[in-house]
Order: sequence, then C-alpha cells, then structure tokens
Amino acid sequence: MATAQTDPHARSNFWKWFDAFRRAPGMWAYALNRLSAIGLTVYLFMHLIVLRTLTEGPQAYDDFVALVKSPVFVFGELVVVIGGVYHGLNGLRVALTAFGIGVPYQKHMFYAVLIITAVVSLVFGIHMFTA
Amino acid sequence: MAEKWTVTFLINRQKDGVEPHFESFQLEVNPDEYVLDAIERVWAFHDRSLLFRHACHHSTCGACGMRVNGVEKLTCITTIRSVTSDGGTVKVEPLRNFPVVGDLVVDMTRLYARMEMVKAPSVIPLDEAPKPDTSVFDIKPDHDAPDDMIRLVDCIECGMCVSACPVPLTTPEYLGPAVLAGAHLRGLDNNPSLLELVDGPNGVWRCHSAFECTAVCPSNVEPGWRIMDLRKQVVKKRFQRLFGRGG
Amino acid sequence: MLERSTAPKAGENTWLWLLKIISGVLVIVLLFVHLVVNHLVPTEGLLSYEEVIAYVTTPGIALMEMTFLVVVVSHSLIGLRSIILDLNPSPGVLRVVNWVLTLIGVAAVVYGIWLMQMLVAQAA
Repeated sequence: MATAQTDPHARSNFWKWFDAFRRAPGMWAYALNRLSAIGLTVYLFMHLIVLRTLTEGPQAYDDFVALVKSPVFVFGELVVVIGGVYHGLNGLRVALTAFGIGVPYQKHMFYAVLIITAVVSLVFGIHMFTA
Repeated sequence: MAEKWTVTFLINRQKDGVEPHFESFQLEVNPDEYVLDAIERVWAFHDRSLLFRHACHHSTCGACGMRVNGVEKLTCITTIRSVTSDGGTVKVEPLRNFPVVGDLVVDMTRLYARMEMVKAPSVIPLDEAPKPDTSVFDIKPDHDAPDDMIRLVDCIECGMCVSACPVPLTTPEYLGPAVLAGAHLRGLDNNPSLLELVDGPNGVWRCHSAFECTAVCPSNVEPGWRIMDLRKQVVKKRFQRLFGRGG
Repeated sequence: MLERSTAPKAGENTWLWLLKIISGVLVIVLLFVHLVVNHLVPTEGLLSYEEVIAYVTTPGIALMEMTFLVVVVSHSLIGLRSIILDLNPSPGVLRVVNWVLTLIGVAAVVYGIWLMQMLVAQAA
C-alpha cells in the first residue's frame, strides 16, 4: 500500500523537500540551505574550470574577464553572493544548534540570518551595478 | 446563543482501489468547537464510510493527529476558529510519511515498533528530562519528594513530528524525531547498545535542523533539541572510545 | 525486525558530520580571506593576467588557496553526499557514490595544485 507519501522512490517526494509553504521557519531554512548548497556547488566547479583560461596566456584571460563583466554575469555573481551569504550564515546557525547552543532561539537566529542576507545582498547589488 | 459559521470541509478519501481525492462537506459549526468534532459529525450525519481515529478527545492519547490545511494538528484541541473563518474551507488530510490505511487513518506500526526498539520510557523520575532555558520544566516539588516519584513521559506517540519532518519523506528508514527523542530520554549512559542505533546511518545525523518536529509537537517533547543533545552525547562517546574510556 | 539500512558502519557518519561542520566554519574564514586578498588588495582585483601572476607568487598565497580548495571541496562533497543519502540509495549504490565523490574531490584538489604550479611556472 505504498503511496507517494511513503514510497521512497517516488519522484514527487524530491520536490516536497522544498514544500516549505505554511510550515515553520525551520523548514524554510532547511529548504533554502539545500537549494543554495546545490547552487554553490555548481558555481564552485564552474569557477575551478574557468580558471584554466589563466594557463592559456594573457589574451585568453583578458577575453574571459571581458565576458564576466557583462551584466548577465554580474547578475549571476550577485545570485552566488546571496546564496553564499545565506548558506554561510544559516550554516553557522545549524552548527550552533547542533552543539546545543541557542536551540530555543533557533527561530530568531533564522530571522537574523534573513535580515543580514538581505542587507548584504542590497549592499553588494548596489556596489556591483554602480562600480 | 452560540456563534454559527458555515464551513466547507475538504476531506481526503481513499481506500484500496480508490485513488486519493477530496470530498467536500459543508457544515454549520460553532467556531469554538474542534476540528475533530466536525469530522465526527461528517461521519455521523453525512458519510458513515469515513475512516478516522479518535479516542480521548483531550490530547493525551495521540490518536487524532492529522494535517489540517497542510499543517500537522491534534484535531481534538484545534478549534475551527484557529484554522479558518466563516464561509471558509478546511482541508483535512492524513499524516504524511506513514502508509495510509484509508481516508484519514495511517498505519503507525513503524513508529510503535521503533519506540519499542529504543525502549523509550513511558515514565521518568519527576525531575528528569527537563529542557534547558525553560522554567516550565523546572519541576520542583513543594516538599522533599521521595526518590521514587515519577511522572508520565510527555510523548503521546501521535506521530505528528514524523509527519512534519522532511527526512522520512524520502527515507522511511530514518528513525525519526519521536524515536530519537525517546532514545534521548532512555539515555546513552545506561544503554550502550543504543549508541550503534542512534549513531547509525539512519540516526541522529540524518536530521537537517528543520525543527518542524518541535514546531508541531502538541506535547512539549522538543524533539529538535533532544536530537541535538543526543548528537553531543554521541560525539562524546565516540571520542571516549577513541581515546580509551575517558582519555 | 526493521528494514535494511543503508549499510555504512556506525560511527562513520559522526566523523563525516564533524568534518562537515569544521570545514564549514573554515570555509567562512578562508572565503573571507580569499575575497579580501583577491578583490580588495590588488589594484585591479586580479582582473588582469599580470596581477594574477604576481599574486600567485606572493609568499603564503599558494598555501592559503590550496588549503581553501581542500576545505571547500570537502564541505561541498560531504554536503552532496547528505543530499544523495536523503534519496535513499541502496548500500551498493552508496558505496559507488562514496567512491565517485572521493575521486571527484581528489581530482579537484590535484587540478588545483597543477593549476597553481602552472601559474607559478609562468611567472618565471
């Protein structure tokens, strides 16, 4: 009598990880952490690969730098910054609560994480598009 | 004169051979009645084939846990007023992460079997199992309590924490918040065999700190905190073993 | 009496989890250092080839960047493993996953060392 809810191999269950609507803040924290983790991993490996252009001489690198100064890439970088700041801050929250520090305040910590992420994102966003 | 609301209840129906779907029942209710009362009335006056569980009607048996508008609630203490408004709808579904037997009833065997497996206690000494930082749990008897004064454990085994947790969604083998909380109460110090279980691949490390379990627990068990505390105990025990019992 | 579990030995996950938390904290520290010395210290923020070459030959930089690489790759791959664990793989699949992730990690670090060494050589 395995329904989608109990069948571990049901594809739909994967999307339910992000089913944080109307649930407690902790669920949002977890879903966003997971999303940012996947995004940051993709970015990490992309970053490592593109650094290869450095071995192809100054011209190749300069071309690459010109490419990443275009608005699409700058916006992409902003998304990475937002994801990275959120993931790092929430990660600290997870680390603290995992050692039993501040567990009754885990919700407050999450709100602080959101606020700081928003502020930093705004600052970076303005800086990146006006520099 | 009691207030009267008109509320539509969308209740999950499913049985062997019948796919899950919602059926709609419109009821005149007193908003200070409980969701469980409305479900009973649907059964009594509208559809006798509705399957649901209920027993004590005062939040000690853990039988009536369901999802109301997508969030786990103990329906015997959830007022209709708290989940909808006059003319509104209330969606009622069975708990997640358990096999559905029919309609609103789920098979809880897995939970009960695992509670047995960790030998989760049902009574504890009066001053034990308090949570830090909360005076609610500073149980101080008025007089010098004899050593054998005990109380019932908070967990009513309703399964709502398991339903709310994102991990069993894809990993039914995960022990789950209720069971880990029970293991925490049992204590690693007196039960070394528990260590392999909670430190195993489906134990404390599968928790992703969503704290949904704590959010929906109707009974102050605080499984989220207990899992974290259990982790500390596990790490301590592992270090002790590494350096040969207490360094 | 319960279902078969996804095989790794008990205790293995404790150390992996500890590594994840420790590497996570180190990532925060090293990322901060990395961003400051990459973008705020050099005049063009390392956006010119010459600056990059001068940068990699600065004493201590190679060590910092390689440490950062090891730490961030470890954290990322252990994290990926947690996500994969949540998809309930069988013990056989999990063993393969462990090997693949380890190989990716080693490859990434080796690649990083090779790249660093290439750039230092180009400075000469």
